Amino acid sequence: MNIDRRAFLVTTGALAGGMALAVRPPEAAAAPAPWGPDAASGNELSPWIEIAADSTVTIRVPQPESGNGTMTQIAMNVAEELHCAWGDIRVVNASVQRDYIEKNVYTHGSLPFFSGHGTSRGRMAHNMRLGASARERLKMAAAARWGVPAAQIAAKDSVLSHAASGRSLRFGEVAAEAAKVGILAEPELKPESEWTLIGKQSPPKLFLPEVANGSAVYGIDVKLPGMVHAALRQVPVMGGRLKSHRPEAVLKMPGVRAVVVIDPAKSRRSAVKDQTTFGLSNVTEAQHGVAVIADHYWQAKLALEALPVEWVLGEGGKIADHDSIYQAMRTLRDAGAGKVVVTRGDVASANGKRIVEAEYLTPYADNAVMEPLNGTALVTADACELWCPTQDSRQAYWVAIDETGLGPEKVTVHNTLVGGNFGRRTQAEDLRMVVAIARQFPGVPVKTIWSREEMFRQGRYRTPISTRFKAVLDDATGLPQAVSGDLCFAGDRPLFQLTQGYGDAPYFNSGAIANVRLTTTAYPVHVLNGAYRAPCLNSNAFITETFIDECAHAAGIDPLEYRLKLLASWEKPWSDTLRLVAEKSGWGKQLRKGEGLGLAITNWPVATMRNFGSTMAIAARVSASKAGELKVNRIDVAFDCGRIANEDAVLSQIEGGIIFGLNMTLNEEMTLKNGAMIEGNFDEYPMLRLGDSLPAIHIHLGALSGHDRFDLMGELPACPIGPAVGNAIYSATGKRLRTTPFRKQDLSWT
Amino acid sequence: MAAIDFKVNGAAQSVDADPSTPLLWVLRDHLGLTGTKYGCGVAQCGACTVHLNGEAVRSCQLPLDGLAGAEVVTIEGLAARGGETLQRLWAELNVPQCGYCQAGMLMAAADLLQKTPKPSDADIDAAMTNICRCGTYGRVRAAIKRAAGVTA
Repeated sequence: MNIDRRAFLVTTGALAGGMALAVRPPEAAAAPAPWGPDAASGNELSPWIEIAADSTVTIRVPQPESGNGTMTQIAMNVAEELHCAWGDIRVVNASVQRDYIEKNVYTHGSLPFFSGHGTSRGRMAHNMRLGASARERLKMAAAARWGVPAAQIAAKDSVLSHAASGRSLRFGEVAAEAAKVGILAEPELKPESEWTLIGKQSPPKLFLPEVANGSAVYGIDVKLPGMVHAALRQVPVMGGRLKSHRPEAVLKMPGVRAVVVIDPAKSRRSAVKDQTTFGLSNVTEAQHGVAVIADHYWQAKLALEALPVEWVLGEGGKIADHDSIYQAMRTLRDAGAGKVVVTRGDVASANGKRIVEAEYLTPYADNAVMEPLNGTALVTADACELWCPTQDSRQAYWVAIDETGLGPEKVTVHNTLVGGNFGRRTQAEDLRMVVAIARQFPGVPVKTIWSREEMFRQGRYRTPISTRFKAVLDDATGLPQAVSGDLCFAGDRPLFQLTQGYGDAPYFNSGAIANVRLTTTAYPVHVLNGAYRAPCLNSNAFITETFIDECAHAAGIDPLEYRLKLLASWEKPWSDTLRLVAEKSGWGKQLRKGEGLGLAITNWPVATMRNFGSTMAIAARVSASKAGELKVNRIDVAFDCGRIANEDAVLSQIEGGIIFGLNMTLNEEMTLKNGAMIEGNFDEYPMLRLGDSLPAIHIHLGALSGHDRFDLMGELPACPIGPAVGNAIYSATGKRLRTTPFRKQDLSWT
Repeated sequence: MAAIDFKVNGAAQSVDADPSTPLLWVLRDHLGLTGTKYGCGVAQCGACTVHLNGEAVRSCQLPLDGLAGAEVVTIEGLAARGGETLQRLWAELNVPQCGYCQAGMLMAAADLLQKTPKPSDADIDAAMTNICRCGTYGRVRAAIKRAAGVTA
């Protein structure tokens, strides 16, 4: 047997050859923390896996947990090969600083520190190799102790056993020895036929007992000795600045410690080239603002409300309202200067008599995460520690480095649980403001909390999209001979201008439509966009799937048949999912007026790549009273993500995503007056609740292709639901809805 | 300001703070009980739901100076007061996603079952007014029914 240092083994202690295993005394148990250590500690079998003397298996996960089950999925990946008992597992967040110092020990697969993607191909395999390697080294440690060949030792449920001698011990009993073992050749992964966890079991998320008893630690729950609290107000019109304020008016209020100013020009800037996920572009910049620091949050909030502040609203203040933005988008869209993103044939060559032409609009919407933005930072002259909920730990880390100007080795990020992301916590501009406040109150941990009003009015909103589509239908077939599309994004941040659901729609790329020309433009405006669940697909799916439905009706062809014709040459799951939801929803049966069925289908993240991403079809059944009261009665869902690693996790994402997308479509719109967002809380931004006659959601697995991938399900379900409901409303009432939210539209019929 | 005396999860507490401080922030900042969550501050979302003298209430709307003599139960005290089954089912049925709103959901559900041990769907609709952005409503309903032993 060869024993050697493994590539990623970072524990200290030189290894002797042969079976001479150095035994390190167990280290004193550190106080349990929900985050991983910034340097090697305990019985590490790799930076990812530590096994304690009591057999607790700590798995350090680089991706934060925000409700999608990422950390539990990573634990499944590791445990599939480690063969520990599921109940022995504890997941904690890996340290992004350690990744930097130890040169990418946690950097594996795409978006290595981004919440989600726990089943992406490279990551799953890497996690399994970690588990297999640790298991083999546990076996070797037991073999050395018993003086038997490691090949005779079995590992199951955290127990190592030697059948011939009847001996057994738990992982923890040899973990310290195993941590010293290196192996020359990594073990082969077992064949899938021997998997017992992935695709076989659906464990609930590991952190739920702590959620249920109130002990789970979100960012807002961080407690540190001597910690003080900050309340924040940013300039009400984005891009404006502070004109004046009078701190002396509030400094004597109870508990108040300081009033600080956030000035983006005063960021210290990193001296080292960053390794951010999304770049240190303007998306990470702070807005001008003021903050009051006090002993308690309520004191800070009262003082902030009493603080006299004057702002310079800037150019944005001249924007009268949201409609003026949307009108400017239409004008730019129709000016003929768009960038061509898809071109095929010659749209001018079409000669059919039937023309379908319509324009569509999706408005600003806020992520409305339930845990308000927050973070706690302790900044000194030569160090910064940041405790935070984030969607991307590496982005948070480099933004903290950039804001303080400290070297990467001096900045530490401690991840907490995250009370919802949906894209809101991806860029870390929020954490830049947290650090900017704390570094002006050095040596004391400062927790900054956004009020709900600050959350709504200082969002990084869904990118509004205005699109005009025109189809020329073939006189004989009714299918489009030509489709022209012109799309305008609001906002000038390219990161949030995605063409998913538009430029990559199979209708426009399969060849089924001979002549296609699609363009995009972007209207620069002061209101800041960000990532909102399934960025831009959440708009484009609504627009494209409504337009295709309009074409079908104009052609006098059943919308299911119409889609199937257009997708006939496309990959099979598109047709399979459509057929399945049609069958399950009772498609084709005669419905009375006021009852309707509607269809929609889309893919995330790239429809044009074959066997890639996830595809989902939805059939929605609605009823609408003559007075226009809408009820969404039933949703049928079919999808293909290749295969499923944890079925209940996938079902849970689909159920929740459908409610999210339904709320987006029925309810959500942020509006603007004189450059500032109006809606400030949930009384002005209604959300679906349990008692709101929610539809029964029926999820069908029958269209899964079985293709060898476990693709993602976080973004997608929010997208096909809206157009399916809109198309059903048309079927029920004859009213075509080309904009959202539906609650603001007249659905009455006679 | 004089200290206000009340009970939280059976333990006597005495808090001296601005009388307008909502119970939510008294619990979180003064007593270290962070299981009760801030979501909106205007009684909309229900993330801050606790039991006050046996009633589910939005703690963001209860100023400290109205709490003298009150008996408060928070999520941290729920297990010892009959909430264990709900809490266990919440995890078993994978109800929460991000989980942030779920302490409030559980406090509302526990209040419902104390008053209506076999709730109808309409009872559940009326009692569960909390906002969940992740969209866990279907599982919340299923877990309440399971806890109550009524057909889901």
